[in-house]
Amino acid sequence: MSTTSNAPTGNNRVRVVVATSVMLTFISYWRAAAVILNDLGSSAFYAGGIAEQAIGKSAPWFILAVMLFAFAVRAVYVESCSMFVRGGVYRVVKEALGGTLAKLSVSALMFDYILTGPVSGVSAGQYIAGLINDTLTIADAHGWIPSAVHHLFHGTPQVGVNGTAVVFAVAVTMYFWWENIKGIEESSEKALWVMQITTVMVVMLLGWSFFTLFKVGGHLPPFPTLANIHYSSESLGFWKHSKLPHMFGILGLIIGFGHSVLAMSGEESLAQVYRELAHPKLKNLKRTAIVIGVYSFVFTGLVSLLAVMLIPDDVRMKVYSDNLIAGLAMNMVGPQILRLAFRAFVVVVGFLILSGAVNTAIVGSNGVLNRVSEDGVLADWFRRPHKRFGTTYRIINLIVGLQLFTIIVSWGNIYTLGEAYAFGVVWSFVFKTISMLVLRYRYKGVRAWKVPPNLHIFGVEIPIGLASVGMVLLSTAIVNLFTKSVATVSGLIFSVIFFAIFSFSERVNRRKHADHAAQMKEQFQLQQADTVERETVGIRPGNVLVPVRDYNTLNHLKWVLERTDTKEQDVVVMTARISQFGTAAYGLSTEQIFSDYEQTVFTRAVSVAESFGKKISLLLVPARDPWSAVAQTAHNLESSGVVAGLSSKISAAEQAFVLGSAWEAIPEPKQQFILQIVEPNGTVDTFRIGPHTPTMKNEDVVLLHRLWLNVTREPGLENVHHHDILTQALTRFARDYGANDHETIVKELRRHGGEIDPNPVRRIADQVDTVQPAQPRTDRDDGTPNPST
Amino acid sequence: MSLTFVLIKILEYMFVAGWAGSVIVLLITGVEDVGTLLDKKDDTSH
Repeated sequence: MSTTSNAPTGNNRVRVVVATSVMLTFISYWRAAAVILNDLGSSAFYAGGIAEQAIGKSAPWFILAVMLFAFAVRAVYVESCSMFVRGGVYRVVKEALGGTLAKLSVSALMFDYILTGPVSGVSAGQYIAGLINDTLTIADAHGWIPSAVHHLFHGTPQVGVNGTAVVFAVAVTMYFWWENIKGIEESSEKALWVMQITTVMVVMLLGWSFFTLFKVGGHLPPFPTLANIHYSSESLGFWKHSKLPHMFGILGLIIGFGHSVLAMSGEESLAQVYRELAHPKLKNLKRTAIVIGVYSFVFTGLVSLLAVMLIPDDVRMKVYSDNLIAGLAMNMVGPQILRLAFRAFVVVVGFLILSGAVNTAIVGSNGVLNRVSEDGVLADWFRRPHKRFGTTYRIINLIVGLQLFTIIVSWGNIYTLGEAYAFGVVWSFVFKTISMLVLRYRYKGVRAWKVPPNLHIFGVEIPIGLASVGMVLLSTAIVNLFTKSVATVSGLIFSVIFFAIFSFSERVNRRKHADHAAQMKEQFQLQQADTVERETVGIRPGNVLVPVRDYNTLNHLKWVLERTDTKEQDVVVMTARISQFGTAAYGLSTEQIFSDYEQTVFTRAVSVAESFGKKISLLLVPARDPWSAVAQTAHNLESSGVVAGLSSKISAAEQAFVLGSAWEAIPEPKQQFILQIVEPNGTVDTFRIGPHTPTMKNEDVVLLHRLWLNVTREPGLENVHHHDILTQALTRFARDYGANDHETIVKELRRHGGEIDPNPVRRIADQVDTVQPAQPRTDRDDGTPNPST
Repeated sequence: MSLTFVLIKILEYMFVAGWAGSVIVLLITGVEDVGTLLDKKDDTSH
């Protein structure tokens, strides 16, 4: 294979190696479950209240039925993921029913995703406002409110619940808008932490509730018969004046089920985390599905049931309809102050999980829109990266704009929001399940698992399980069209608008991409490769890897080219195309990865290299996390050095720490390398990534030498070296650390660690030197730029 | 009215039949799930 360079190839084009598999970091099924439950579990805070407002006191039975049925829906997702690594709605529907219905289904999914933010934000606001008001009422009852304040408010001071919820929801949405514009790090660690706290709350809530039931007793909610379903004026929608809902018993059940279906929103996240699940993927997916199924059944299902059993009828819907768990906390047995404290804990947990869901909504919508835009159904204009942060800010602005619009238009009415939300939830499931049914006959690829049972009659497979799930979903979705007028009208308007945008963009893009492809072919020769290998890129070991992102900041590339003889050492310019949460992972087409933006980046890089008259190799890697991509690419290419520009978000030391952490995650065997961060003023910070000889303090060297002198005076030890002393010392340290002295050593290190090296970065990437600009360079023996010159 | 009646009856049958089938799905996958949970091989969670 010829060496890649910016020197023209035989046909006058520069070769770019394009990796077609995203570099991912894999997570355990517990973490995956935590990520999903951050979305799925949040509905426990509002689903019960919304359902009871619509159909009356028997609502918990419907919520429990939905949570049970969710196990079957999850089975559909497990089957789709066993077929496609990225087995979400868009991919599956496109594969089965074609592009038009895929665009329609993704429009419904977008409606679901976009409404997740307002529903969650408003719900969190309702919990906070409820807590403030109840605290003020209790304080007033104890005479703790000054009379002047009392007079000012003409009674007990209270905040407007809906207004406060709107302000809170807007504030949280704006906060996460900015975080996403900056490029928030999706962290399974954070999700796990939130779920741990939520679990503590759930255990306390259930334990205390059962204790209360034991003490004061309670009655199960009325069973869901036609006589026990009490429709509210809004819950029948277009059938408000019709006799139909009162005539058919089972129709009443479908209406009730349809009003409770939002309790299982968040299932789509299962498909999105699948590609990041650690090996064995399918088994871990099943484990994840079990964890989230059991958790959400217990949390959402039992909490709704207990709320009806413990909160008196006269206050449940009147006071606590929008914050049912808070109502549960206030109606336990025990001192009022303890109940109020627990309610505050519920609000804190609600704030954490519901705020997390607001973020999930933005990240998820951004991921879905990025995914479809990669297929050319959203104009490239939307995907243009932010100049400073490199995020798809136009898509984020669009999503957040729609969310803010929804919050303000609904003015904190959680019932209306929840009702509308169910439209997107149920229709995206319907599209998905019908597509899976079609794929049972059309898809000929590998399928590791199928929803049972499946009958075989005369060689034809009858997917009974899959069809059953589809029938429940379709009948519910159709009835919802009539009973949820707000959802039907808003959902249809939204879906039609999005569908029109997708269709129009696709047409524009098709024309534009034809021109673009022709233009691109003039300039670059794209060579696809499944994974990044040194031989594929055509470079020698010991090369320098230069990650670039912003074509306006290529100073570090200039710095490398100034100091590197490319005849002796290859320079690889790499850009990581960030593959958002929810986008495709394998077998990506070149057009999905190599966009206008990447073309501009490489054009600039090539022109910089040409100005130096030096050769560079170009590499494009799709990745979930840019630093993991850099670490893995450096490892695969056997690079001796990585030279990066200074991040606009974090310091050089933090960059080194992040890269060091990514390097630690690479399986052995792996080689170390030097990381150099070139700041805009030309200062260069140099770090060694991986295990390396530490920078020793002078007194340590003196101590080592003294020990060596003493040891060599012992008979028979005249030939001992300094390194033997170190080996002996380290061996003893390792033994003591793993045995009785563990605690003492940790204590000592903590004491000294704070004094010696307050910067945790050094534990992974030890800073060895700082290079000043415009100094002459001499190459090290191994060919890497010498940091000390 | 009669067409509406027929359509609603179809929806009702779909719903009931769907639930009956879904319960079978839950039973079969439930047994499988117990096996998956008990199978500690390859359990690398941490």
